[in-house]
Amino acid sequence: MKQNIVDVVKIRQDFPLLGKEGVYFDNACQSLRPQFVIDAMNEYYNEYPACGGRSMHHLAAKVTHKCDEARDAVANFLHTKRKEEIVFTRNTTEGINLVAHSLGLKEGDIVITSDKEHNSNLIPWQVLKEKLGIEHKIIFSKEDNTFDLETYQQALNNNVKLVSLGLTSNLDGVTIPAKEIIQLAHKAGALVLLDGAQAVPHHEIDVQDLDVDFLAFSGHKMLGPSGIGVLYGKYALLEKLEPFMVGGDTVSSSTYLTHEFLPPPEKFEAGLQDYAGIIGLGAAVKYLSEIGFDFIEQQEQLLNKYITDALHTIKGVTVIGPEDPTQRGGIASFYIPQKDHHQIALMLDETSKIMVRSGQHCVHSWFHAHNIPGSVRASVYFYNTLEEAEIFVRELKKVVSIL
Amino acid sequence: MFCIIAFIVLSIIAIFNVSYRALAKEAYECVFRRITFRPCNTGFKEKMQAKLVGKLLTKSVVAARFLNKHFELLAWLLFLTTVASIFWTGKGLFNFYMYGSCNGLNKSGFCALDPKGENNKVSQTGGSCGTGEGDESKVTLAGMNTDLFPSKNIGAKDEVVLIGCYSCDYTRKAYPLVKQLISKNSVNYTFAHYPVKEETLYLLPIGYCAYKQDQDKFWQLNDRLFASEKNDIAKKEFVDTLLEDIGYDVEAINICSTSPETNSAVVERRIELEKTNIYGTPLVFINGKGLVGPKPYRVYERILKGWRFW
Repeated sequence: MKQNIVDVVKIRQDFPLLGKEGVYFDNACQSLRPQFVIDAMNEYYNEYPACGGRSMHHLAAKVTHKCDEARDAVANFLHTKRKEEIVFTRNTTEGINLVAHSLGLKEGDIVITSDKEHNSNLIPWQVLKEKLGIEHKIIFSKEDNTFDLETYQQALNNNVKLVSLGLTSNLDGVTIPAKEIIQLAHKAGALVLLDGAQAVPHHEIDVQDLDVDFLAFSGHKMLGPSGIGVLYGKYALLEKLEPFMVGGDTVSSSTYLTHEFLPPPEKFEAGLQDYAGIIGLGAAVKYLSEIGFDFIEQQEQLLNKYITDALHTIKGVTVIGPEDPTQRGGIASFYIPQKDHHQIALMLDETSKIMVRSGQHCVHSWFHAHNIPGSVRASVYFYNTLEEAEIFVRELKKVVSIL
Repeated sequence: MFCIIAFIVLSIIAIFNVSYRALAKEAYECVFRRITFRPCNTGFKEKMQAKLVGKLLTKSVVAARFLNKHFELLAWLLFLTTVASIFWTGKGLFNFYMYGSCNGLNKSGFCALDPKGENNKVSQTGGSCGTGEGDESKVTLAGMNTDLFPSKNIGAKDEVVLIGCYSCDYTRKAYPLVKQLISKNSVNYTFAHYPVKEETLYLLPIGYCAYKQDQDKFWQLNDRLFASEKNDIAKKEFVDTLLEDIGYDVEAINICSTSPETNSAVVERRIELEKTNIYGTPLVFINGKGLVGPKPYRVYERILKGWRFW
């Protein structure tokens, strides 16, 4: 692995797939993995494929040690107060569900979300509304799809128990003003859960500085393996939460009638863990830390500006979200009325192996509300190049011209 | 409409290439929804359209635009062409099974299952070989007096008439099949020698006299002539040896074959055979239906047995 890498060409050499498989602009769905991460996972399977935290032999000890290292790496990455605040989950969805089902919400409690939430941060609240009778309030975005702080402030009251928001939207790449949102929520006595799936891979996150209560994110969007995710929670809050899933490795002891839970994070990590995934995620955050978020943000903005400028020259194109690409991170989501978004995406793939996402990106609710069938979403990451953006624009223009 | 055409085409390709099976299955699901009066919401058409148009776009923008704009219309045209093609293929297979030719009974057009047209080839009356230039539809047994020719099992319900030439390749191909047919079935079998080559013309009076002298031995002679080399049967000495070997009175046959009466009989029979509008050999009539050229055995048997064949 290289130190302080700022040369994209060199960075790309770390990713076995880049340059072989066309233009990968579907990073909001899943990022590619550097060889460093793949090697870390392979090392587990090849050299110490044992159980962690259970057996006493030397291989098991190594697994435990490597998983601890990964937890440390993630904790440092998020600037947590203590490493026990990191709970390994399967993904963001599981993290959100863990909070939703463990927080002890009851009838009349209010949960606030925005109108642009991924289904992962919408359906759990709809289910709790049906099951427990909680109230689910939605804060609608401003006209440019940015967060409406004023409306949010008005919605806060003593009954609001949780504010659950996507930190960065997978629909349009807009990042919400989290610090102000959290301050206001805390003032009203509410906790804040952030869906960091689209934010953690792209921006420096300091959970202490944000003072966020919970933060859930996935490994597969940040160079890590799929099937591994993280729920960060303030330790005091995690201690109070009832575990969502229970069983093996969540208790210190049990009788036929009783059990004694382990402290966080173990009490939330039921069953045999995805050790390779945890170790891979640890490697991914190390790699990202060495790349540095200054470079990541700078590269994404450079590419998104080029793409957005070009999109504005194509007749009929509407970009979802603010005009200014710097407010949309690495995401350019657009649609052309009367032109099928899936067809555009498929043709880009067919003509030049350009991989983008099309559809409603698991934000069906927003598309239904706006009566838009779907969009094409190009999402870049730091390893993408201007040359790839040029290919994308050139081919997109060609495709649109024949539709 | 596209789903249907895609299902047909992909199903055929999928037989040979496993990677197309998933697409064929997807197309089937789409078709299934359609035939159960539900909208095809699998996005299959859109996906395939994008793939096809996208592929074409790398070659020609104009062509891609045309395909995209007229995709449904082109799908319809392709569908109709495919239906027509399936119909003609089915008809061709049916004809080949029933008549040994994709084009129908005695039709000599190209047939992929018989690319060389072997099942329709005849030795032409001019002496050459080929598919013949006569009118296949005009061959008929009506008006021909079969009683003049060597026959056996007279009175049987079914009738097989073989008009052939001892030294012709295609008659030689058909002969064992006809023999198999008459041995397995009770038929009134008639054989008429119709030499299309000059070197076997002399066998006409010999055959006439041999049948006249001993009818049973004639069928042995027939078998031996078809079993012998073509060059050998062109030599009278060889045939004399055959006759002697079978037990004929060779001298009597030779005297008979040169007699004016025999000559008249031979001419009479030749005239009689011309009534069938024959233009090449073999010509086989099974219960009156004329088959030009050597057909597969199943064709002979099917025509003889009719519905009993199945």
